[in-house]
Amino acid sequence: MDQAAFSALLAGAWTTAWISAIAIAVGVPLGLALALLREARVPVVGHLIVLYVSLGRATPLVTLVLFIFLAAPLFGFPLDRYTAAVITLILNTAAFNAEVWRAAIRGFPREQVEAARAAGMTRPLYFRRIMLPQIWITSLPGLVNEMTFLIKASPAIAVIGIVDLTRVTNRIAAVTYEPLPPIIAAAVIYMVLISAFVRLQRRLDERAHRLTM
Amino acid sequence: MSTLVVEVRNVSKTFAGVEVLRDVSLSVARGQTVSILGPSGSGKSTLLRCINWLEEPDRGEISIAGQRIGIRPDGKTLMSDRELAAMRARIGMVFQSFNLWPHLSVLQNVTEAPIHVLGVPRDEAIERAERLLDKVGIAEKRDAYPYVLSGGQKQRVAIARALAMNPEVILFDEPTSALDPELVGEVLTVMRALADEGMTMVVVTHEMAFAREAADEIVFLDQGRVVERADPETFFNKPSTDRVRQFLQRYS
Amino acid sequence: MSRWDILWDHRATIIRGFENTLILFSVSSVAAFLLSSAIVLVIQTHRGALSGFFRTIVDGMRMLPFLMYAYILYYGLPSLGIRLDAWTAGFIALITYHAAYFAEILRGTWATLPKGQTEAARAVGFGNLAMYRRVILPQLMLRTAPVLGNQLIVCLKDTAFLMIITVRELTAAASAVQSTYFIPFEAFVVAIALYWLTSMAIEVLVARIGLVAERRGLGYGHVDSRR
Ligand SMILES: Nc1ncnc2c1ncn2[C@@H]1O[C@H](COP(=O)(O)OP(=O)(O)O)[C@@H](O)[C@H]1O
Ligand SMILES: [Mg+2]
Repeated sequence: MDQAAFSALLAGAWTTAWISAIAIAVGVPLGLALALLREARVPVVGHLIVLYVSLGRATPLVTLVLFIFLAAPLFGFPLDRYTAAVITLILNTAAFNAEVWRAAIRGFPREQVEAARAAGMTRPLYFRRIMLPQIWITSLPGLVNEMTFLIKASPAIAVIGIVDLTRVTNRIAAVTYEPLPPIIAAAVIYMVLISAFVRLQRRLDERAHRLTM
Repeated sequence: MSTLVVEVRNVSKTFAGVEVLRDVSLSVARGQTVSILGPSGSGKSTLLRCINWLEEPDRGEISIAGQRIGIRPDGKTLMSDRELAAMRARIGMVFQSFNLWPHLSVLQNVTEAPIHVLGVPRDEAIERAERLLDKVGIAEKRDAYPYVLSGGQKQRVAIARALAMNPEVILFDEPTSALDPELVGEVLTVMRALADEGMTMVVVTHEMAFAREAADEIVFLDQGRVVERADPETFFNKPSTDRVRQFLQRYS
Repeated sequence: MSRWDILWDHRATIIRGFENTLILFSVSSVAAFLLSSAIVLVIQTHRGALSGFFRTIVDGMRMLPFLMYAYILYYGLPSLGIRLDAWTAGFIALITYHAAYFAEILRGTWATLPKGQTEAARAVGFGNLAMYRRVILPQLMLRTAPVLGNQLIVCLKDTAFLMIITVRELTAAASAVQSTYFIPFEAFVVAIALYWLTSMAIEVLVARIGLVAERRGLGYGHVDSRR
């Protein structure tokens, strides 16, 4: 691989990274909002969220990104491919994150809430100061786990023509006629990235464990 | 202005068809320590939890320093979350299972509510928290997190946390029941000191020696009813009901 | 003619794509499961280089995106003189990739089995495959059913990646129909509904297994793998 191929590869990695990063940055709080809405037991809203999570779990990203990119203009929302890709990944990861958050909310000890209320905290205050910091710590390993799944599923966005870390290997091979080196290089980059997340997840898991001691 | 800090009038509470509290009345004057005794399941925790409205009584009234809790002055509508919180800020509570906030350090556990509920300036809150931690004998652990503490240390932090709010009264729900026997003493020592200083306290406990020495009054609950109410001397030496005699035989 | 009518006229294309997806999914998941049970047996009972080799493969594979792995097989291997058609590459990718995930799930649960059973299994070793098949494996399956179920749904979704290496599965079929007649909304809604129904069927199946497990006193053990 020459210099040009190498910088193309890095550009592809950058595309994968920033699109995933935005999806994570939006998908994590969105998942929390969905989980809170669902636990609030508002009749219709709760069912809609259950349906959304169920669909999100079952729909391949390839199918979803094609659907959003091609169908949105019909409803008067023409999307450029990057926006379509980001929206797709957000919709997908938020569904999974909602389940992680929900498990943490359900498992949150009642005694913790009572200690906060007994100390004179209002609902918003104890949510912000007592509950959120704790469910954040207990959810984080699961959320990071979902991040690795998001990154592993992200090559789906190549199908609408985004040149991400996977797709860029086709581009490089079209010039060099040697597909194997860029593919191996891209695979190594993915593995380095994901193994970093896996190590982070283990560390966070230990921290979450301490909290429940 | 009444000197009664806690006033419970004819409170009843039913859980799933079972009457857990039946027409219970109780009053605690400023500076008094009242011990609530009774067999397990007799409604002691429920009574305590009604006092700061963690449980809502079905009937009866509860007032804190002359102000009714849970119900607005009109006598009908329920207090808002905000109004209740303001009332609870004046009532300390110490739980059997400590319930320290595990994501906060010892010092932060003590300063959390003063800063965010009462709006005490941070420096002032820290200074006061340090004094209180010193008082309960745990100053050297100020930056530790709860998971490294022993049960006795946790409970002393929980007491400091309650004191930090400058409450009118502190409610203790079996504060030593979850402790290993060798750790009970350190917590009781702190509680005795508080009683001596004139803190108003309501203490549910199975520690008969503590009740005998530190309490001004004993209230005995059985099956949700106040069966006996007496000063410790009378209660332990000349109980007037068989029920109390049986109980005392088992626990002392 | 309404858009839905157009889609209805081309239902044969969609149905063929759906059939292909179901074939890819069912053949691959069964084969992946069989492969993973062999791998787990080696990892858990063998203490040599072979066990280490499989552990490395299982860990490494799970750090790769599925599409990247399919790329290696379909676009990369020809450089080494190995030329696979899209279907063969697709099958091999699905089977080996998901075998790694299944293996990790089974291994994690095997590690939580009561010590005596693990010892017994160790003693069994390679010598007694029947014992593994009849005693250990059914327990592992029953205990891990929900997690295996999640992984099956991931496997179902991964079949859609294969359209990128030109396999004519469901998403490729929907894509073909929509691009000719420009009915993306209808085509993909139907495709998503079919994936959704299939995943529901998988969940029902897994719940059935769960019932069997409960009846035999095998609650779902604690497994930390997800999705
Ligand atoms: N939240 C609740 N729901 C249903 N029953 C309860 C609840 N809290 C307490 N009880 C029941 O009320 C009775 C009194 O409980 P409690 O006040 O905890 O007694 P004590 O503290 O004296 O042991 C018990 O029979 C208990 O099972
Ligand atoms: Mg109790």
